Amino acid sequence: MTTDRYDLPLVHAAVADPDLVAVLTELFDDYRSKRPAPTEHVRFDPDLWTQLEELGLTRLTASEESGGSGASWIEGASLLGLAAAAGAPVPLAEHGFLAAWLLEEAGLPNGGELRTVCRPDPSGRALNVTFGRDADFIVALWEDGETWRVADVPGDHLDITPGRNLAGEPCESVLFDLAELESAPVVDDSVGQQFHIRGALARSAQVCGAMERVLELAITHARHREQFGRPIGAFQAVQHLVADIATESSLARAATDTAVARAAASNWEDPGMLFTVGVAKSCVGHAASVVVRNAHQVLGAIGTTLEHELHVLTRPILVRRSEYGSVHEWDETLAELATHAGRDRLWPLILTGRR
Amino acid sequence: MSRQLVPPVVTEGEALTELRLEVRDFLAEQIAARCFTPHVDTWLTRWDRAFTQELARRGWLGMVIPKEYGGQGRTYVERFVVTEELLVVGAPVAAHWFAERQVGPSLLAYGTEEQKRAFLPRISRGEVVFGIGMSEPDAGSDLASVRTGAEKVGGGWRLTGTKVWTSGAHEADAFFALARSAPLDPARRHAGLSQFIVDLHAPGVDIRPIVSMGGEHHFDEVHLDGVFVPDDHVLGTIGEGWRQVTSELGFERSGPERFLSTFQLLASAGQAMMDGELPLDHGLGRHVARVAALHHMSLAVSTALEAHARADLGAAVVKVLGTTTEGDIADYVDLLTASGWIEDEELHGLLHGAILQRPGFTLRGGTNEILRGVIARGLGLR
Repeated sequence: MTTDRYDLPLVHAAVADPDLVAVLTELFDDYRSKRPAPTEHVRFDPDLWTQLEELGLTRLTASEESGGSGASWIEGASLLGLAAAAGAPVPLAEHGFLAAWLLEEAGLPNGGELRTVCRPDPSGRALNVTFGRDADFIVALWEDGETWRVADVPGDHLDITPGRNLAGEPCESVLFDLAELESAPVVDDSVGQQFHIRGALARSAQVCGAMERVLELAITHARHREQFGRPIGAFQAVQHLVADIATESSLARAATDTAVARAAASNWEDPGMLFTVGVAKSCVGHAASVVVRNAHQVLGAIGTTLEHELHVLTRPILVRRSEYGSVHEWDETLAELATHAGRDRLWPLILTGRR
Repeated sequence: MSRQLVPPVVTEGEALTELRLEVRDFLAEQIAARCFTPHVDTWLTRWDRAFTQELARRGWLGMVIPKEYGGQGRTYVERFVVTEELLVVGAPVAAHWFAERQVGPSLLAYGTEEQKRAFLPRISRGEVVFGIGMSEPDAGSDLASVRTGAEKVGGGWRLTGTKVWTSGAHEADAFFALARSAPLDPARRHAGLSQFIVDLHAPGVDIRPIVSMGGEHHFDEVHLDGVFVPDDHVLGTIGEGWRQVTSELGFERSGPERFLSTFQLLASAGQAMMDGELPLDHGLGRHVARVAALHHMSLAVSTALEAHARADLGAAVVKVLGTTTEGDIADYVDLLTASGWIEDEELHGLLHGAILQRPGFTLRGGTNEILRGVIARGLGLR
């Protein structure tokens, strides 16, 4: 479906540039068909990264002045989703959507070196720093009294304790010497919350893409796996498991695309962004429960093995739905916004995200 | 390329938002003047012809009926936003529900010029209440097994049989009856069905109440004993009833009534949390999120249908998720509520209404089990 189709006077659709989507689809289909068999530990793929860099995709949404490609988050979300569907082991969200944006906010230069991003606590400790060991620089955002600061620190200057997350991805604990960084640039007060909601939406876009690939795997398996003399997809019980994967991932997609469209239309300045991203994160998080559970049930025992593609998707789905705020935390945020809106303002809140 | 079951989301433009606000202001005045009491599931349970006619005077009835037939000549997305605003405040909309949603559009698609001139202006003024006669004692989810017969006689047809679960037949002036106009051919079960416009005040029509478990009367059995329907009250083409009925299913399945039936309960529960009458609970956020996402999905499907894009699967997705969610809201508030101590009687009334209506949410208009099958077929599993 193209944009012109919805050139009705009353509504407008925000869909990603179909040419770019075609390029991305081909690129990641190709990657998926050639990548090595799944392993327990995920390793950064430098060849894929170089390829993405040459196509101008590693900093797709960063401004052209800063060395990015200047695309909107609508294109950006497509990239994140398709890369996640291919299980691409590269820090696209961290490097291109968060670190690059923070450096722009701080007025710091960006030479395109590999970066990841984190929010150290007041003691300088940052947990859950994905691809920290692979990054040339780690961009830190922290609260310094009343203000927020950003620093771009070379990885080899940092105390990095390597770790792994549930998905087997590099996920480190990093210690910053914040005293040494006391003259780092101050950024606008809004950047702290902006970072959280941008991270949450990037994660939502990734999980949506991965869930859509899970749906494909479930359909393919249900059509080809035969038991009792027929494909298991001929059984209503199995059909309903697959249908629920489809409906839940569709709801997550609708919520995420709405937030992405609103972010793109307002350059993230719409005051309804917190609620709108919360809706996406909540729907994505709860969808993940159904999608992962049902997919494993449909795929049967083979889906639980290391050699199978399923866990390359389901493990990251569960990791990413909990990053940038747990599902529970986002549900709480929405509940607070809803109760403060009150009976008569709940509906306007739902429509616009604004009180 | 990943498959997209639901059309892409859209953003409503300013003109739609202005229309919303106009309707919202009117409804706030109506509630303040106690013209109606907000309730749950009002599109099935609350008839108010005076309210319906007031909507007509304001230009919010017959929304998609062209002006030449007395309607507003507006778009489906405009009807969509008006409908949403009416449903979220739990306004009494049952008197015009089926005419506005199905009967008007079906007459436009299949009616003769005389039928359009006879019915559409009265529908647009809220002067005629329509029902829909589809289900029968032996035809629920399997609609093609209808047995009501239509026998050709001089100048028309005689209909004999029983329709059940006809919403508001006791309030209605007429209904669209799906009947078998040719003997059943087991190899082609969908053939030989036709639609008739039946005057519910005609001789041979007997309407008997079906009382719901809470004691309320929303549904009827309609017995047709040789009821005469003149030839000029056949809708569309004899033998094409199945195609005519199913072609309009997208709008019926994807509309805001599929996720907003308990919105007043959700909003009141949020208020009760604010007022300390219910514990502040994160689960509220989850339900609010789903309703928000369903709004975007439902609007996306409506927009696609208006643009004549295929959206049958998207409509089925909205109905499965939406009707589940509106029922889950009833159960959610019930889980938070201890019996006997709620001070807010209004919340109590909404909760009881929602619990009693809930079983119907996932049955009416195609059960969720049938719809999951439709979705599975769309995914290539059947």
